[in-house]
Order: sequence, then C-alpha cells, then structure tokens
Amino acid sequence: MPQSEKKAKTSRILGVIAAALVLFVLVPGVIALGIAVWDNRRYLIVSLIIILLSMLPFIISFERRKPKVRELVTLAAMIAIGVAGRAAFYMIPQFKPSVAIVIITGAAFGSGSGFVAGAMIAFVSNFIFGQGPWTPWQMEAMGVIGFLAGLLFCRRDGRLPKLAALVAFGTVAAFAVYGLIADTSTIFTANSEVSWKMLLAAYSSGVIFNLIHAAATAIFLLILAKPLLKKLNRIRIKYGMLEQ
Amino acid sequence: MRRDAFNFVHPAVSMLFFLFVTLITAFVLNPVITGISLAAACVYYIMIKGKKGVLFCISFALPVMLLVAVINPLFNHAGTKILFYLWNGNAVTLEAVLYGVNSACMFAALIIWCACLTSVMSADKYVCLFGRLIPTLSLLFSMVLRFVPRLLSRIRRVSAAQLGVAPPIGKSPVKGVKHGLSVVSVTVSWALESAVNMSDSMKSRGYGLKGRTSYSLFRFDGRDLVLTAVLVVSFAASCAACALKAVWFRYYPSIKFTPPGFFPIAGCAAFALLCFVPVLLNVKEDITWRILRSRI
Repeated sequence: MPQSEKKAKTSRILGVIAAALVLFVLVPGVIALGIAVWDNRRYLIVSLIIILLSMLPFIISFERRKPKVRELVTLAAMIAIGVAGRAAFYMIPQFKPSVAIVIITGAAFGSGSGFVAGAMIAFVSNFIFGQGPWTPWQMEAMGVIGFLAGLLFCRRDGRLPKLAALVAFGTVAAFAVYGLIADTSTIFTANSEVSWKMLLAAYSSGVIFNLIHAAATAIFLLILAKPLLKKLNRIRIKYGMLEQ
Repeated sequence: MRRDAFNFVHPAVSMLFFLFVTLITAFVLNPVITGISLAAACVYYIMIKGKKGVLFCISFALPVMLLVAVINPLFNHAGTKILFYLWNGNAVTLEAVLYGVNSACMFAALIIWCACLTSVMSADKYVCLFGRLIPTLSLLFSMVLRFVPRLLSRIRRVSAAQLGVAPPIGKSPVKGVKHGLSVVSVTVSWALESAVNMSDSMKSRGYGLKGRTSYSLFRFDGRDLVLTAVLVVSFAASCAACALKAVWFRYYPSIKFTPPGFFPIAGCAAFALLCFVPVLLNVKEDITWRILRSRI
C-alpha cells in the first residue's frame, strides 16, 4: 500500500526531526538553564525534565504512525502480560520477567512499539509497586531496551530471531542498560552532590541486583521467547496480519 | 479511609496542583519550604489513607529519608564547619549534614506526594486529560489497566481447568512447574487471540473514524474555577518569592539565607496555602457537613 508507506515514511522523518530537536536544542537548553538559574544543584528536576523530553520523539512518532487496531490491542495484551509477570514475582528482588517480555515485544512489533511497551510496562506496574521520581527513569530504561530489541531483532519477513542472540542481548541489556540507568537514577534522585565517586559507589553497590536481574532476564527469555514469538506469529498468520 | 473531597475535583485541577507542588518542592531547597511541603504531604496522605498512610510514612518514607540524609555527608566534604573526621581522613561538615537532612526531607516529600498522586489520579482521569492530546497511548494505557486484572482472573480459571483435566499427581516440584508453565502458555494464547477478536469488534464499532470522542465523567464547574484561581495565584506568589530571592537559602561553602521579613513570610504563606489546598478542601467539607447536620 503506497499511501500507508508514505505516511509511515513522513512519520519516521518527523520522528527523526523531533529526536534531533530534543537532543541538540532542548536538552542542552535545559542543562544550561539548570547551570545558569539553579546553580547547577537541581539534579533531580533537571534530570527528570531531560528524561521526559527524551521520550517525546517516541511518543510523537507512535501517535503519528496511527498503529492499526489489531496491533494496538495485541500490544496492550503483551504489556499486560509484562505487568502481571512483574507482579507475580514481586517477592524476589530484581527477579522479574518484564525485561524479557519487553525484548520479545520489541522483536515482534518493531522498535517504536518496543519503546512504548517498555515505558508502559514500567509506568503501569508502578501503580502496583509505587510511583515516585524513579518512574520516568524506569520507563526510559525499559523503553530503550524495547527500542534496541526492535532495531536488532525485528524482521519484516517474520522470521524468528535466534534464541542465543536474544538471550545474549537480554543479559547485556538488563545488566548494562537497565542497571546503568537505574543506578544513575538513585544518585540523581537522592539529590546530593553528584560526583564520579558517588556514581562509582552506586554502580558497585548495584552489581549484585543487576546480576540477579540479568540472570532472571536470561532465564525468562530461554523459557518464554520461543513459545511467545511462535504464538504471535501464529496469530499473524491466522488472522492475516502478515501483508504489511 | 474517608471520602476525599479533592478526589472529586476536575482532573485538570488535580494535575495542576501536583505539578505546582512537586515543581516548587523539587526546585527550592529551603528548609522552610521543604518542611511545609513534607508536612502537607503527610497530613493529606494520612487524611485519605488513615492507618495505612501512617504505616507508609513510617515504614517506607522514613528509612529512605534516613538513608539519603546519611549518604550526603559521607560523600560530600564541602563546607566550613568541620564536625569530625571519618576513618579515611575525610571531614564531615555541618553544612553537608544539614544539606543531607534537607534533601532527604525533600525526597520524602516527593515520594509521599507521588503516593497521593497515585491515589487521586485514577486511570479515567489520565484518559480524560490526555485523551485528546495522545489518543493512541491513552487508549493503550486504559486497555492495559483492563487487561491486567482480566489476565489474572483468567490464570485462575485456566489453572482450575488444568487441574481438572490433568492433575499433577504427587508433590514433585517438576510437575508443579510444568503445570504452571502450561497454565501460562494457555493464558497467553487466550489473551493474544482474544485481543485480535476485540480489535475486530472495536473496528466494526467505528474505532478510528472521524469525529468520535471518548466518554468522560468530569465537568469543569465553578468550584474547579475557584480552585484553579487559588492554585495559580499561590503558585505565582511562591515563584515571585523565589525570583526575588525571598526564600533564598545557601548551604555551601557556608550557610547563608535571607533573613525573615515580610516577603519571605508572605512567600512561605503562599506556598503553604498551595500545599494545603486538598487538606483545606476536606476540612471545609467536614465543616459544611457538620453545620448541615446540626441544622436537622
């Protein structure tokens, strides 16, 4: 369908423009404002504004793309599975399947929907676990993982990605991407002085939790990735959602 | 638990309130401002949650607060008044300790405000606010909120059915895990397939056509207008106080602040009015109720 393709192209270009605008104009602007007006000490609020700004391009391009109803509702079901999964394993700290679900969603639906799924899982599950200044950081971390998974693994021809690659990516993403962003958030939200020493202390104290998280993600990907992707593919074939 | 009057104002007013309060709390590091915000947050949260609110403040916010307060002087050695030296030779200064206490109170206030936000802003309010701005994401959000409880109830039903069809004999954990996995597998298939059915049903009912609006229960009435005016005026006054450096407070290198006078006190009073709007609204409702009852 040429018309929908054209629409998708313009929305992609708009997304890139929005991303560039945020990255090169708004973020430096906010940082400059933080230094000039607030004496460079309002780390919490400046970092939160930057995090929220960085989500803007994804939100805009998702809205502009106007996803089909079927994709939207299936995405909602996947997000609900992620939220319920996090709630089911709440007793073990950091042992949660949500990152695995986000990676599978990104691999199946593409990078844009992957970001939305990750951010939404973090946002909604914090209605159960408690909202706080950490919510935008978690949304960003999960969203970025979903986005990367979509970039790396989403194939237009519907071929399934290799399980070993998925597991490797999931381990690294949970440890490095999620761990790094979450640990940085503890420093910025606690709003004391930010120094390399403090960041290092936060990262080293977070290593064990991040290792548990990475192991959990790998385990859940090993168990869930194949059957879930197969189920999603089956639905695509059964209901004729393959033609795009 | 009580009937929270602030819960019944228009969502735009509630959102504006939380935005104003958290912005000023997060921006202005001044012990008086932080104290007012923390006190208002605690009072309001305990007002709407009762005993559970007290428990939350003591068991969650307080430990976080202590942690933040202790960490700052351990890592930050700026300041002039040295209290004592650590084992590694670093100085613990009075300024760093006080700064840590202040930022800890600010963090606790933000956490409790967020807890209030979660309790006041329900999903339909978010959809009402953002439904026109980001319609797709709002729809996604409200669908997810519906799907989570449905998923959980389906897991229960599938589990019961599976136990009836093929009960795991004996108590071996392997069989338990197998049973759990098959339940998850069936439930996920069910959820995904019904999602496609649901989307077809949505489409046949006209989702995505032009000129369709979403249902919203909220109406912006006179009380909301008055509340908005109060919020905006008190927020503007607080901002003006900040801009005029009336609530200026510096920790490093030595503690310095604007001495109390007319403007600092007025600024703090404006901020207190802003923070206590939900509490005052509840008190006003209580008084009205009492007067109405005494007339009977």
